[in-house]
Amino acid sequence: MASVLDLRRRIRSVKSTRQITKAMKMVSAARLRRAQARAMAARPYAQMITSVLTSLIRRTEVIDPATGNLRHPLFMARPEKKILLIVVSGDRGFAGAFNGNILKAAYQFLGANEDKEFDLEAIGRKATDQFRRRYPAAVRIEQTAENPADLEPMTISRRERKAAIEVVGDHVGMLEKLNAENVFELAKDVIARFVHEEIDACYLVYNEFKSVIQQRVVVERLLPLFEIGNQQVTGAIEPTREEREAAAEAAISAGISLKAEDTVEADTEAKKFGTAEVDYIYDEPAEELLNGLLPKYVASMLFHALAESVAAEHAARMTAMDSATNNASDMIDSYTLQMNRLRQAAITKEIIEIVSGAAAV
Amino acid sequence: MAEASKIRVRLVTPEKVLVDDTADAVELPATSGYMEVLYGHAPLMAELGAGDVTFHGLDGTEVTRYNVSWGFVEVLPDRVTILANDALIPSAIDVPRAKEQREHGEVLWSQAGDSEEKYTEAEHVINEADAKLASAGSKA
Repeated sequence: MASVLDLRRRIRSVKSTRQITKAMKMVSAARLRRAQARAMAARPYAQMITSVLTSLIRRTEVIDPATGNLRHPLFMARPEKKILLIVVSGDRGFAGAFNGNILKAAYQFLGANEDKEFDLEAIGRKATDQFRRRYPAAVRIEQTAENPADLEPMTISRRERKAAIEVVGDHVGMLEKLNAENVFELAKDVIARFVHEEIDACYLVYNEFKSVIQQRVVVERLLPLFEIGNQQVTGAIEPTREEREAAAEAAISAGISLKAEDTVEADTEAKKFGTAEVDYIYDEPAEELLNGLLPKYVASMLFHALAESVAAEHAARMTAMDSATNNASDMIDSYTLQMNRLRQAAITKEIIEIVSGAAAV
Repeated sequence: MAEASKIRVRLVTPEKVLVDDTADAVELPATSGYMEVLYGHAPLMAELGAGDVTFHGLDGTEVTRYNVSWGFVEVLPDRVTILANDALIPSAIDVPRAKEQREHGEVLWSQAGDSEEKYTEAEHVINEADAKLASAGSKA
C-alpha cells in the first residue's frame, strides 16, 4: 500500500506530464491552423491546372479512340510490373496511430501485390526509418561504355535489382519545410522514371485531410493518369467512430473549426480558368501546351497530398495529446481521492488511539 | 484613367495566390517572346518561359515585377490569369545562388552527350538562371 507521501509524489509527476501534453496539444493546434491555411492557399493552383487541362483536352485532337483518353506518354497504361510507391508519413511520433495507419496501408498494398516489383520512396522520417530497416536500398552501378555515336566514353548508370522490394529514396526534411520547388523536383524525377519505363505505375500512400473529422488514409494512383480531375483511389482506411469523436473533441477544445473550410467561391472562380466558351488563340500547338501542363498537374497533385498530410499529422498529434491530457487529469483525480482516503484513515486511526488511550487511564 | 480600361490580373503559384488585383497592362515572357496585354485582348493561352512578368499600374504602383521560371497564362478580354511555378520579386533573388545555378547548367550542358533531353534540361537551367540574374541586375 502506497503511503500519502508516495501518492503525493505520483500526483506531482503526473501533473507535470499533463502540463507537457497540454503544451504539445496547443502547439499542434497552432501548427494545424497554419498547415490548413497553407493547404487552402495551394488549392487555386491545383484547381486551375485541372480545369485548364480538362478544357484543353476537350478541344484537342490527340485523343486515342480506343480508350477515349489522351495520346500522351503520361496516359500510357501498361501492365503494372514495376511499381513506385511513395509513402508520406510524419517526421515525428507522439501522433497517435497516424504513422502506424499509413505504414499499415502501405504494407497492405505491398502484401496484396506480392508478384510485382516495388520501388519505395519514403517521405517523412518515420517511413524512412521503417523501410530502411526492412528493405534493402536500391543499387545503381555506374559503368563506362563507348558511345556508339561518336565513340566517346560515357557513363551509364544501371539499376541492379536484388530484391522484389527496394528503397530508392527518402526525403526526410521535405515535410518540415514544405515548398513547391522541392516537390516539383521530385515530381519531375518520378515522371522521368515513368516515361523511361523504369516504372509502370506510381502509387501514393498518404493521409487525406479535408477537415479534422473528414480524413482517411488513402492509396492513390498518381501515374499513369487516367481522368484529369478525378482521384484514382484504390484503397482507403477510414477512421473509426471513436477516433473521429476524439478528434472532434480535441479540435473543439483547441478552438479549431470542424467543418472543411468554405471553398466554393474560390473553387468556382478557379474552375473558370481556361474554360471560357471562346476560341482561344493558342500561342503554340495544344500538344506542346499539354507537355508543359501535365507534369505540373502531377506535381500539384503531389504537393496537395503532402500539404494535406502535414495538416493531418498535426491534427493527429493534437488529438493524441488531448486524450493524453484527459487521461492525466483522470489519473490525478483518482490518486487525489486515494490520497485523501489514506490521510483520513490515518487521522481516524490516531484519534481512536488517543480516545482508547484516554479511556484506558 | 477610366476603370473600364483596367484588366483584372491574378498571379497564382502552387503555394498561394500572389496577386489578385487590377492593372493597366501586363507584360508576359511567353516562350515565343515577350508580349504585352491590355484591356480587350483576344482570348489567348500560352506557356511562359523564364523571365519577368511586369504589371503596370497595379494597385497604384507604377511598375511591379515578378520573376517567374515557368508559367502558363490565360488571357481573356477583361482578365489575365498567370499560373507560375515560382514567382519572386527581383529583390528577393539570391544572386550567388543564381550564379551557381548558371554554372551548374553549363556543367550539365557540357555533360549532356548526345541526349536531346539532357540538352533541353540544361538549357532550362541556364535560361532560368539568366532570367533571374537579369531581373536582379536591372533592379539595382
